[in-house]
Amino acid sequence: MKHEDASPESAESIGRSVQSGERSAVEVAKTFLARADKTAERLRTYLHRDAGRTLADAGDVDARIRAGEKLSPLAGVPVALKDNLCTRGIPTTCGSRILEGYRPPYDAHVVERLRQAGAVFSGKTNCDEFAMGSSTENSAYFPTRNPWDLERVPGGSSGGSAATVAALEAPLSLGSDTGGSVRQPAAFCGVYGLKPTYGAVSRYGLVAFASSLDQIGPFARTARDTALLYNAICGRDERDSTSRAEAKPVALEDLERGVRGLKLGIPRDLIAEGVDPEVLASLERMAKTLEGEGAEIFDVALPHARYAIATYYLIAPAEASSNLARYDGVRYGFRDKSASDLQEMYAATRGKGFGREVRRRILLGTYALSAGYYDAYYLRAMKVRTLIRKDFSDALSRADAVLLPTTPTPPFKLGEKTNDPLAMYLNDIFSIPASLAGAPALSVPAGMTRSNLPIGMQLVGRPFDEGTLLRIARTWEKRNGDALRLPPIDAGGSA
Amino acid sequence: MSAYETVVGLEVHAQLKTESKIFCACSTRFGARPNTQVCPVCLGLPGVLPVLNERAVRFAVMTGLAVGSVISGRSVFARKNYFYPDLPKGYQISQYDRPLCYGGGVDIHVDGVSKRIGLVRIHLEEDAGKSIHPEGREGVTTTLVDLNRSGVPLIEIVSEPEIRSGAEAYDYLIRLKQTLMYLDVCDGNMEEGSLRCDANVSVRPRGQVEFGTKTEVKNMNSFRNVERAIAFETERQIRLLESGGRVVQETLLWNADKGQAESMRSKEEAHDYRYFPEPDLLPLDLTPGWIESVRSGLPELPQQICERLIREFEIPAYDAEVLTETRALAQYYEEVARRAGNGKLASNWVMTEVNGIRNKKGQSIEEFPIRPDRLGTLVKMIAEERISGKIGKQLFELMLTQPEGPEELVMARGLLPIDDESSLRALAREVIAANPGPVAEVKAGKERTFAFLVGQAMKQSRGRAHPEKIQDALRKELSAS
Amino acid sequence: MPIDAGVVHKVAALSRLQVDPAEEDRFVKELQSILAYVEQLQALDVSGIEPTSQVGAGAGSSLREDRVVPSDVRDEALAQAPDRDGDYFRVPRVV
Repeated sequence: MKHEDASPESAESIGRSVQSGERSAVEVAKTFLARADKTAERLRTYLHRDAGRTLADAGDVDARIRAGEKLSPLAGVPVALKDNLCTRGIPTTCGSRILEGYRPPYDAHVVERLRQAGAVFSGKTNCDEFAMGSSTENSAYFPTRNPWDLERVPGGSSGGSAATVAALEAPLSLGSDTGGSVRQPAAFCGVYGLKPTYGAVSRYGLVAFASSLDQIGPFARTARDTALLYNAICGRDERDSTSRAEAKPVALEDLERGVRGLKLGIPRDLIAEGVDPEVLASLERMAKTLEGEGAEIFDVALPHARYAIATYYLIAPAEASSNLARYDGVRYGFRDKSASDLQEMYAATRGKGFGREVRRRILLGTYALSAGYYDAYYLRAMKVRTLIRKDFSDALSRADAVLLPTTPTPPFKLGEKTNDPLAMYLNDIFSIPASLAGAPALSVPAGMTRSNLPIGMQLVGRPFDEGTLLRIARTWEKRNGDALRLPPIDAGGSA
Repeated sequence: MSAYETVVGLEVHAQLKTESKIFCACSTRFGARPNTQVCPVCLGLPGVLPVLNERAVRFAVMTGLAVGSVISGRSVFARKNYFYPDLPKGYQISQYDRPLCYGGGVDIHVDGVSKRIGLVRIHLEEDAGKSIHPEGREGVTTTLVDLNRSGVPLIEIVSEPEIRSGAEAYDYLIRLKQTLMYLDVCDGNMEEGSLRCDANVSVRPRGQVEFGTKTEVKNMNSFRNVERAIAFETERQIRLLESGGRVVQETLLWNADKGQAESMRSKEEAHDYRYFPEPDLLPLDLTPGWIESVRSGLPELPQQICERLIREFEIPAYDAEVLTETRALAQYYEEVARRAGNGKLASNWVMTEVNGIRNKKGQSIEEFPIRPDRLGTLVKMIAEERISGKIGKQLFELMLTQPEGPEELVMARGLLPIDDESSLRALAREVIAANPGPVAEVKAGKERTFAFLVGQAMKQSRGRAHPEKIQDALRKELSAS
Repeated sequence: MPIDAGVVHKVAALSRLQVDPAEEDRFVKELQSILAYVEQLQALDVSGIEPTSQVGAGAGSSLREDRVVPSDVRDEALAQAPDRDGDYFRVPRVV
C-alpha cells in the first residue's frame, strides 16, 4: 500500500523542505493531522488535540519564514508533547483526574524552545498517571495501544509519545524518563528514545515525578532526527538549578563518522537471567554488526546494577510522595467539594483524584521517608545509588558506551501485569541503572521478533556524551536500514 | 531564690530584607493586595523549580559571621513535608542536617552580669503564605489564603538552652535584633512578622543536670511578651511539679490579652516532617574566598563601635551602649562628637536632649530635625564656653523648628554671651543697685546670698552673662560700692 | 520492618490519602511484596559510602541575582482555583 499522505519521511527532510519553501508548515501539519485522525480511535495516543491550534501554529511558522526569519531545522515539523509538559492555556493533566481541566499559565522551557525553533505542536500525548508506570495503562483516561499489535501495550510511561511517532502521527515527540519512561516505550514501539544526561535538559515546566531522576527526552524515527530534537532542547536554563552548561548540541556530521576504534562494553552478568532469547539474539546481532564496523566489544561489570530496582523503588516514590503533595485541591485541579473541613477535603480530594498506582507510590514513599525508616530505606538507597554510579564510571572509563537491551522482553499484553506491581517494576531492570547514574541512555530500534514485535537495544554513555551514543546508533542504522519502517496499523486498520 | 531553675532555648525567625523572594523573582514588599506578588514558583504550580537568591545567602552568611558562627563550605537544602493551605507545595524548603551556619553566640548583660548565649545553628528557609480565618455569622467556616508571603526568605536562629530567665531572653532578643538591624539584613518589625520568636521552656530543680520536659510557646508578638510568657510558663510548670503533677510536652499559644499560654488542644498529631535533601537544588557550595569577601564587607557591629567610642571619645561604657542602640544613632553621635571636639558633652546632649525629644515624639534619629552638623556646632560653642549651657538649650529649642545653625541664631536673636569686662561690670552695678537688702547681707558676711545675686545677674541677662566672669564682676563691684 | 493495616493507616493519614477499607488489604499486600523485594539492599555493605541525593552535586551553586521581575500569570493562575473569595483562595475551615 502506498502512503502518499504519510510517507515515512524524516523530520530532517520535512524541516528542510519547509525552510526552502517547497511546502508550507500548514500542509505538513494537515498531512499529519489527517494521519492521526485515521489512527486515533485505534491507538488513542492523544489526551488532547486541537487541530485548529496546530494549524494556527503552523500558519505562524509559515509567516515567520515568509518574513525571512531563519528558523531551526525543525521549522514546521510537528512535535507531540507528553501531557506532563506544561503548555500555557492548553490542558496539561499528566494523565491524572486530579489535574482534569487544568490549564497551566506558563510554558515549559522545552515548549518555549521548540516554539522558538519553529516546531508545531500536534497535541498532548497519553501517559501513565504522573509518569508512574511502564505500560500507559495507568492513565486515568484510557490506555494507549501498541501500533505493532493493538493487543499489546506501547510501554510507558511515555506510551502516547512513543506510539504517535511509531504510527507516524507525528515525526517527533517528547517524553520524560525517570526510570526508563522514554527508552522502554521507544523499544516497545520500535522508535528511538533518548534519555539525556541528568541536567542536560531543563526540567522547568516538566511536572515532577522524581526530581533527582526526571529528564525530558526525544522520540524519533532516525538517529539524526533524535539528535535534531535533542539539540533543540538541551542546554543550561537559569530556571532549573540542576541544568548544566556542559550540555551542548550534537554535531550531525559527527554521527556519520562510524564506530572504528570505539569501545563497547556489554554487562553480561546483568543480562544473564530472565531475558527473552530473541532479545538476546538481537543484542548479539547488533554487537557483531558494530564489531564489523570496527568497534571493539568486550564485557564490563556493573556489579551493583542488580540492586537498581530496589534502590529506585525507594528513591522515586519518596521524592514523588513529596512532589505530589501540592495536589491538595487548594489552588488548582480537582477538589472534592463534599468535605466540610480541611482535613476531610485533603483526604477525599487526593484519595479520589489519584489513581491506584500513584496512591501506592505515595504510600510507599511516605513510609520510606518516615521517622524510624529513613535510614534503613531512603538513606541506604541513596548510598547504593552511589555504588551504582561508580559501577558506570568504572565501566565507562574502559568503554565509550555500554550496550545492553532496553527491556528483557518484547511488549507485553494489556492487562498482563496490571495486577502485579512488582512484576511491572521488574520489567525496568535494564533502564533503571542509567537513570540512577544520571548517565545518557539511548534506546535504538534493533529489529523485530518473529511475531513482528519491536526490540530495542540500549546504549549508555558518559555524562554529556549523547553524541557518541547517537553516532553508534547511526552506524547501526545505516547497516540495519529499517528505521523508517511503518507498523501494520498502517495497513488498513486491522493490525 | 527559687528552688527551680528555668531553662529556655529560643528559635528566632527573621525575614531577610531582600528585594525578591528566596526562590523566585516576586517582590517581598509587605502589605500588597492579596495574591498579587505571586508567580508559578511561589504558587507551587506543577512543574516549577526553585532558584536560590544570592542576596539571601549573603545576608544569612553576614548574620552568621556577625555572631561568630562557622560558615559551612557545603550546606544542603531539605524538604520539610507537611500539609497546610498556605504551604503551596506541601513542603517547605529549609535546611536540616547540614545548615549554613553552626555555633556562635550572643553576649547579653542582665543586672550587671555578662554572659554568652550559645547558638546551635542558623539556617535559610522559605516563609509560608498567610491563612486568614474570618469569623462569620456561623463562626469560622472557611479559611482564606494569601500567598504574597510564600517564599519570602527567612533565617532561623536557634539558641542553645542556655537562657535562664525571661529577662535574659529579652536581652538576648534585643541584642540579636540590634545585630540584624546593624547588618541591615532584617527590618526587625515584629508587628509585620519580620521577626518572630518561639520559646522552648522547661524547669528543673537547681543543681540537677538533666533537663526537664519542655513545652514550646508560640505566637508572641513582642519581646516583652516573650519575657512574660517565659515567666508565666516557668511558674505554671513549677506549680505543676510542686503539686505532684508532671509537665506534658506540647505546643502552647501565648494569649497576650489574658497574659497566659494556652494549650493548642488540637489532636496532638505526631509530627513527622519526613525531611529529605531537596533534589531540585544542588548543595550550596561556598568557597572560602567568597566567605572572606562577605566578612571583609561586614559593617562595624554594636560591640565594636561601643569599644571604639569609649576609646576615641572617652565616654563611659553606659553612654556608649545607649548611643549604639542603632547604627544610625551611633553615626549621629559620632558626627556630633567629632564636630564638638568633646565626646562626653556631645554624649550628654544626644542622650538627654535629643533622645528626650525623640522618645516623647516617637521619632527615629533619621527623622530628628536637628542634623548632627548643627548640633555638633552647638555643643562645640558650649564646650568652648562661647555660650552657656542655658543659652545652648534655648538655641536647641529654636533649632527644632528653625533651619538656621546655632551661630546664625545667636546673632539673629541677640543671644550673644556677655563676657567683656565693661558690660559685665555694668550688669553687676545694675544688680547691686536693684537689690540693696541682699547686698547688705553679703557685705555682712552671708556668703550664701552671693549666689542669689549671681542668679539675679543671669536672670537679668537672660542667661547670656558668662557664669564665672559675672561672679568676678560682682565681687569687684561689691568691694567698690 | 513489617507493614500491616495499622502502618498503612498511619502513612495514609500522613500523606492525606483517603483509603477505602476495601482497598486497604490490597495495599497492605502490595506494599509488603515491594518491601520484601527492597529488603535485598540490607545485605549490601554501605559503610563509609556517601549518599547520592543529586548526581549534579558539586557542579557549583546556581544562584539568582536579587531582582524583582513581576509575573503576569496571576489572573490565569487564580482562575484555576476550585474556590475563591475575591483575591483569596478559599478552603473549608482548618479544624
